Amino acid sequence: MRKSRRRRLTAIMRYVLLTAWAIVAFFPIFWMISTSFKPDTQWFAWPPVYFPHPPTLSNYLNVWFGAEEYAATQYAISSQKPLISLLNSTIIAGTATLLSVLFGAVMAYGVSRYRILSETRMFQLLMLRMIPPIVIVAPLSLYYSTLGLLDSMTGLILIYFLTSLPYAVWMTKSFIDEVPREIEQAAEILGASRWRTIFEIVLPLIRSGLVATFLFILILTWSEYLLALIITKTQVTTLPIELSKYQGSTEGRVYGRQAALAVGITIPLMIVGLIIRKHLARGFSFGMVRR
Amino acid sequence: MSVAAVSAASIPSQPSPRELSRRRAIKRFRWSILAPLILLLAFVLMPVLFLQLYFSFHQWTVYLGSWSDAEYVGLDLFLEVLTDPRFGWAVVRSLAFATGSTIGCFLVGFALAYLMRRPFRGQAFYYTIFILPMLTVPVVVAYTAEMLLYQSGPLNDLISRITGIDFKPMWLTDPNIALPTVMLLEIWNWAPFSFIILLAGLAAIPSEPIEAAEILGASRWRVFWEVELPLLRPVIFLALVLRFLEAMAEFPKTWALLQGGPGTATETLPVYIFLTTWQYFEISKGAVMSYLVMLLMIVIVLFAIRLLRREKQALDTMYARQKAAG
Repeated sequence: MRKSRRRRLTAIMRYVLLTAWAIVAFFPIFWMISTSFKPDTQWFAWPPVYFPHPPTLSNYLNVWFGAEEYAATQYAISSQKPLISLLNSTIIAGTATLLSVLFGAVMAYGVSRYRILSETRMFQLLMLRMIPPIVIVAPLSLYYSTLGLLDSMTGLILIYFLTSLPYAVWMTKSFIDEVPREIEQAAEILGASRWRTIFEIVLPLIRSGLVATFLFILILTWSEYLLALIITKTQVTTLPIELSKYQGSTEGRVYGRQAALAVGITIPLMIVGLIIRKHLARGFSFGMVRR
Repeated sequence: MSVAAVSAASIPSQPSPRELSRRRAIKRFRWSILAPLILLLAFVLMPVLFLQLYFSFHQWTVYLGSWSDAEYVGLDLFLEVLTDPRFGWAVVRSLAFATGSTIGCFLVGFALAYLMRRPFRGQAFYYTIFILPMLTVPVVVAYTAEMLLYQSGPLNDLISRITGIDFKPMWLTDPNIALPTVMLLEIWNWAPFSFIILLAGLAAIPSEPIEAAEILGASRWRVFWEVELPLLRPVIFLALVLRFLEAMAEFPKTWALLQGGPGTATETLPVYIFLTTWQYFEISKGAVMSYLVMLLMIVIVLFAIRLLRREKQALDTMYARQKAAG
C-alpha cells in the first residue's frame, strides 16, 4: 500500500519535472513561430503579445518572396534573396554531405575490414573536427582568394567535406561493424571484386544507416555559420548568413521578418532531426554507445 | 633427406606469387580508399596551416599589398599576444564559458535521461520536445534569444507574472550577466546532446548487476552511486569531453547576439580572434592567437582522446564479456 503510493508520487514528480523542462525547451521555439505570424506592431510590444492577433502571413511573404504590400514597414530589402540562399544552402550542404557520406562509408569499410586506419589514426581523424574552425578561417580565406575559391560553392563544399568526414567515417563504421562478414566472404568466393562487394553488398545492407548518417551530417553543414560567414561574400550566401545580414543592414528591430526567415531555416532541420532521432546518439557517440 | 625437410619448412615463409599479388591488390585498395582524405589534407589543410605559420612570424596587414612581402618579425608577435591582457581574459572567459556550459548541459541532460531511463507513457513525446533545441540553427538561437531577452521582453514578463515579483535583469546589456546569459543559451541549445548520449548509455546498462544489487538489499541510492554510475562512466566522459570541446569553439551565438559586448564581457577566444582579424585587420596577430589556441586545443584534445580511448577499451571489454556470457 505504502509502496504503491510512493511509486505514484515518483511518477507525478517525474511528469512535473519533465514538463517543466519541456516548457523551457519549447518556449523559445514557440516564441519564434508566434513572432513570425505577428503584425509589426506586436513584435516589440509592451506587454508582450504571446499569440498573434490577427495572425498574418505578411512576414513570410515579405521575407521569402519580397512582397511589399505592407510598404509602411519599409523593411523589405531588395538586395537580399533568401530563395537563392535556400538554393545555395541546399546545394552546398547537400553536395558536401553526399561526398562525405560516400567517401566516409568507403573509408569506414576499409577501417572495419582491412584496418586501413589504426584506432589511433581514427581518433586523430576526430581532431579535424575538434579543433575550433576559428583557428583556420583567416589563412583559409587568403588561400581561397589566391585559388579563386572565395565566394564560391566549391570552396565551401570542400571545407565542409573535410570537416564532416570524421563524423561520416565514425558513424558509418558503427553500422558496417554490425554487418556479418560471412556475406562478403560469400560474395568474394563468387568472384565479386572488392569495390563491387562494397557498393553492391555492404552499402545496400546499411542503407538506413547511410540515410541516418546523411541526415545527421546535413544538420551540421546546414547550420554551419563561421566558415560560411568568411568564405561567402556576395555571390554565394547560405541561409544562416542571410539571416545575420537581416540584422546588420536594417534600422530598428525587425523581429517578425527575422522570425519568418528563422522558421524557414529551422523547420526543415527539425523534420530531418526527428526522422533520424533514434540514430542521433550513434552519430554523436563515436562507437561508445550501442543499441 | 635433411635438405628436403629444410626446403619444405621454408615454403610457408616465401609467399606464393598469388599471395603476393593479393597483398599488392589490398595495398592498392587501401591507398585508393585513403586517397580523397590524403588529397584534402594535402591541398586544403596543409597549405592553410603553412600560411598560418607564415603569418605568425611575418607582420602583415591588409594595407600592405601582397602578403608575400610581409616583414619577418621573429617572435615579436608571440610576445605581443602573450602580453596582451585582453587575450588572457579571452582565454579565461572561454575556459569559464566552456566549463560552465559543459556542467550545465551535463546536469540537465543527466537529470532528464535518468528520469526517462525506463519506458513510461508519453516518453516519445518528451523525447521529441527535448531534442528540438539541438535541431535549432545556432544563429537562429541567437536571434530568438534577442527577441526573448530584452528587458521588457517576454521572458522577464513571464517570470514576473508567475512569481509575482518584478523580475527585470538586463540579460544582454549588463556586463556582469551577459556571459552567463550566453552560457544559459548554450545549455538550452546543447543539453539535448548530453541527454541523448546519456539516455542511450543508461539504456545500454545491463540490468543484471542492478537487480543483483537490489536483491542483496542495496538501497536505491547505493545502487545509483555504486552500480549505475560506474557502469555509465565512459558515456559520462564522452558527454563532458565533447561538450567542452564544442563549447570552446562556440562562435555563432556569441557573435550574432553580442559581438563580444557589452564592452568585452562576452569576448571569448573565437570572438577575439575574429575581431582582431576581420575588424582590426591585424591578420598576423590573429594568426598568432589562432596558433596559440590551436596548440592549446591540441593539448586538450590529445588528453581528451586518451581519456576516451581508455574508456572505450573498458567498454569494449565489457561488451565482449557480456556477449560471451549471453
